[in-house]
Amino acid sequence: MSIKRTESYEEALEKEELKKEEREAGSGEYAGFDDAAEAAAEQQVRDERAKADMELPPDPDALLEVRHLKKYFPLKKSLSGKVLVSLRAVDDVSFKLRAGETLGIVGESGCGKTTLGRTILKLYRPTSGQIFFEGEDIAGYNSAKMRPLRTKMQIIFQDPYSSLPPRSTVGGILSEPVKVHKIVPAAEVKDYVLKIMEQCGLRDYYYERYPHEFSGGQRQRICIARALTVNPKLVVCDEPVSALDVSIQAQIINLLKRLQTDLGFTYLFISHDLSVVKHISDRIGVMYLGSMVEFGDKKDIFSNPLHPYTQALFSAVPNPNPDVKMNRIVLSGDIPSPANPPKGCKFHTRCPRAMEICKHIAPAYREYEPGHFASCHLYPQED
Amino acid sequence: MKLPFQKQPDDAPVREKKHYLTGKEVRAIAKANNREMRRLEKLKKRKLPESEFLSEMKDRENILEVEDLHSYFYTDQGVVKAVNGVSFQVPQGSTVGIVGESGCGKSVTSMSVMRLLQGPSGQIASGSIRFKSFDFKLENGKPIPVWENDENGEPIYDPVYVKGPRKPVYERDEKGEIVSDPVLDGEGNPVLDGEGNPKTEPRIAKDGKGRTLYERERVPKVDKNGEPVLERRQKRDEYGTKLYEMEEKVFDIAKMPIKEMYRLRGRQIAMIFQEPMTSLNPVFTIGNQLDEVTLLHVPGATKEEAKKRSIEMLNLVGIAMPERVYKSYPHELSGGMRQRVMIAMALEGNPRLIIADEPTTALDVTIQAQILDLLRGLKDRINGSILLITHDLGVIAEMADYVVVMYAGRIIEQGTASEIFHHPMHPYTIGLQKSKPTMDSDSDSLFNIPGNVPNPIDMPDFCYFRERCSGCNEKCYGDYPQMVQVSPTHWVACHLYANTDAKENGDEH
Repeated sequence: MSIKRTESYEEALEKEELKKEEREAGSGEYAGFDDAAEAAAEQQVRDERAKADMELPPDPDALLEVRHLKKYFPLKKSLSGKVLVSLRAVDDVSFKLRAGETLGIVGESGCGKTTLGRTILKLYRPTSGQIFFEGEDIAGYNSAKMRPLRTKMQIIFQDPYSSLPPRSTVGGILSEPVKVHKIVPAAEVKDYVLKIMEQCGLRDYYYERYPHEFSGGQRQRICIARALTVNPKLVVCDEPVSALDVSIQAQIINLLKRLQTDLGFTYLFISHDLSVVKHISDRIGVMYLGSMVEFGDKKDIFSNPLHPYTQALFSAVPNPNPDVKMNRIVLSGDIPSPANPPKGCKFHTRCPRAMEICKHIAPAYREYEPGHFASCHLYPQED
Repeated sequence: MKLPFQKQPDDAPVREKKHYLTGKEVRAIAKANNREMRRLEKLKKRKLPESEFLSEMKDRENILEVEDLHSYFYTDQGVVKAVNGVSFQVPQGSTVGIVGESGCGKSVTSMSVMRLLQGPSGQIASGSIRFKSFDFKLENGKPIPVWENDENGEPIYDPVYVKGPRKPVYERDEKGEIVSDPVLDGEGNPVLDGEGNPKTEPRIAKDGKGRTLYERERVPKVDKNGEPVLERRQKRDEYGTKLYEMEEKVFDIAKMPIKEMYRLRGRQIAMIFQEPMTSLNPVFTIGNQLDEVTLLHVPGATKEEAKKRSIEMLNLVGIAMPERVYKSYPHELSGGMRQRVMIAMALEGNPRLIIADEPTTALDVTIQAQILDLLRGLKDRINGSILLITHDLGVIAEMADYVVVMYAGRIIEQGTASEIFHHPMHPYTIGLQKSKPTMDSDSDSLFNIPGNVPNPIDMPDFCYFRERCSGCNEKCYGDYPQMVQVSPTHWVACHLYANTDAKENGDEH
């Protein structure tokens, strides 16, 4: 039996050093290649392109349009406050989301999918980029300007155990947003909330109960009901079913789907579970280390995955059929640190099909089929 | 008291049982529990001769047989019957998967096998867990070594080496000869020896900081008379660990005193826990924690032997630079690497049964694929059995030969993997499979099992799944269903199949 050895970070470093020596010695295809200069030149070209993109008017069809969104968290600052090292949680992400659709974001832990969701809701201040919501760029809005928009965009958090205040009753939790945003006159609040509760499959006598009296699935229903009370258009679901059991998961997914058909929500559905994302989404974005590596319609992505990471991710999902023996692509190693991402293509350290160019130049994020984007050197980079 | 806004809806169901306990009731429960807990704790701590907990396997092919196991938690609200009459077997060399939702008792089952239930509230109330152990044969309380003989059957003796005195290391040239420098006196002139030749002295090697390097040679140990001490050569396995004579015994783990469990834990039954982040000790190096297993479980193992074995084990689980990982601390490793270290630690004692309690739940899909690949390969290599506990049906389908489905502390269905996945019989198993979205399916809405698991404190006496079941008949309003055999390896606990021509065999199984 042979055991596949994983490449450790140290080994990767050693390899990198060897390559550097090789380069200095002037051998190989990229002999005498100056990484820093090339990267700077490449970056300049991209910045210019991004700047040109940002001048364009927003797409009228899209409810949400994100352009070159970046969110960097400072890790180390100089005395004068200049950021020396930053963690690139979301690095140049662009996509469009039409009203009534569901966009599923998948990726491993630490790939920035939660940060993306929160930055779109302006729970984090974006470092740069544009977020068009109903044709308005909300990236620069302050919290006061955002407040009226909060009724249009809501979030459902991952952990239903920690996202409900333990000292309020369900009625209190659900009527607070109604009162704050003055959705209905004060006298009708209770009837309104009871109507919402019914929609979410909560019994009306739960109104006076406290969150600790409920199981995980019921709590997640309360969280969904809370998001629903303000009649939002966009709901960001941040791993809403990850903390739940399989049978409860199905209940919540069906509820989310039913609400979408009844009330016409647009979902941004963040999850690491590919089978759940496949079930609920119309479009899928695959993220790796802060970047969108592939984006497209569900059927395009599943029938014809372009990026090697997407292919590996799909093949890694265990199949609940004991007779099917899959040809699994096992990625070696772990996801690198987003504070110090690899040069060139971020995926090249684990990519089974990595080429020499991948180690030096980051691939462009381009549209290969209508609505199907990918960033990989396996496909043509120029028109 | 009724607050003005509290409008009780007309259709609200009348609650038969109140959802709180009075102080008096709580005290009565606590008193009864205390008595029971004290009795069980005493059983755990008493001294027992080995013959008292020796047992016999029903089937010699099995390595583990769990029969009618009841593990309870005594809380002030009542007794939580976390495991309520569970029976299953682990055949030698196979993987058995236990699958179920959270709170169904799958982890408590595995903890019971290891006798790791948190006392005094968690106790094995009754039942037996028979484990075929392969332990050292003892003579006067000491294990018997396996000696190595030469071709004529004569014993081989090796001299015993000890560390000699500390000597400086001399610098050597390319040919391996010691470099010498002439000795100079105070004025820089060479000193001459008695015959008029310049005196020389060997050059002492220094490290980067100018410190002298020393070494200790290994010299043969001698006794008082100057004779070298000899030691009989013992057989070693492929990793250089000393071998002892072994014998097979069947222990009833449920009856064993806790101190006797030290013979089994780590050495014969190893466990891989769910969270590698919290299972490793953050203040010791990986090597320290790995060596401990060998030092504890192999009599007469030296530190060097332990280190050699640890590094071999790290190599075995696919860690690229074992020496470096050996020296590092747990926080320096990623989640996948830590889980590999946990697996290496489990393998270190050369166990016959590995219990993997949700080994990949905390890991990403791509890392999960790596770890599952590794576990599958290792099982064949160490010729052991795996008891795999997970809530993920996909993982079970890929790994397990036999599947046990648990619900609310009881086994509701068990059989081979293909039986469970291709012909599931219990409505819960069917529902569980349909409610999981898969990569192949293209249905619009998922099947969902309504409702929740019943409260574990007061379980009903009818079928626990009745309230959530879609295929109920009037029989379901009777007793809890017996296990029904539907094929030589397939068992199901459901009234729907009670009338088939299969014979009822619930008690025996």
